[in-house]
Amino acid sequence: MNSARAALILATFLGGLVVGVVVYAVTDKSADANPYASLPPAGEPAVTAEVARAVSNNDSKGLANDMDMEVLQQLKTAIEPLVDIRSIKFLGAVEKNGRVLAAYVAGGRTSDGTDILRGFVLRVAGGQIVGVN
Amino acid sequence: MFGLNLIPPLVRTAMSMLIIGGLVGYVGTAFTTTLVADSGILTGAGEPTVAHKYLIAMLQRQSESLSQLSPSSDVVSRALAQQNISQQRQDVKPLTVTYLGGASSGRISVAIYAVELQAEDGQYQFGSFAITIVGGRVLRVE
Repeated sequence: MNSARAALILATFLGGLVVGVVVYAVTDKSADANPYASLPPAGEPAVTAEVARAVSNNDSKGLANDMDMEVLQQLKTAIEPLVDIRSIKFLGAVEKNGRVLAAYVAGGRTSDGTDILRGFVLRVAGGQIVGVN
Repeated sequence: MFGLNLIPPLVRTAMSMLIIGGLVGYVGTAFTTTLVADSGILTGAGEPTVAHKYLIAMLQRQSESLSQLSPSSDVVSRALAQQNISQQRQDVKPLTVTYLGGASSGRISVAIYAVELQAEDGQYQFGSFAITIVGGRVLRVE
């Protein structure tokens, strides 16, 4: 009888726990849904993949071939203050009216040895990289 | 009092346990989710809530929300930020907001969004925002 009573009390406590979690999940407003529409994901453009490969391989010649001076300057600004890039990762891309935005994150060290992350977006139009955000 | 004596002791205990369990579940979940969101743990697994809130507040020009999600700053810096937001073009309407992805390393997280904007005069912009979060606060937006 005592064990049945204990089981009932434990069950009601656990039931209450579950109800509490569910009530929080339903009433929580912190994870607001996106009030705007989203674009469907696109694949990684070959031209930006090449740039990412050149950056991660420390291939300055390849980078110079892939991008013009203005865009290279924009890339330099985008990844500052990284001086030693150790990783580069493609995050995702979207396409609209023939223009593609491809997002990357670079990880590495600053000149004072601090590990940081820098996110940047390569803008592609007509199969060419036309800008860096 | 309140006729509680009329309820059998076992039922009373069960009801108490149900209420206590509910409170523990609610408060525990709230505490855990807040702690995880603020510490930046698990932000690599999905869209950081802070980045999402910040971007939406920025697009909707909610300067109060922006200052809550930004690092603590002095009153003059906050006033400058509010003035900056109020001087932005009022006629620009976001069309789409797409989370492209993010990454985290320690306390630093980066979340990147693509945004389509349309001005009343028909001017269209297709751009992006890279949001850097440190310790649950937005440190930089580019």
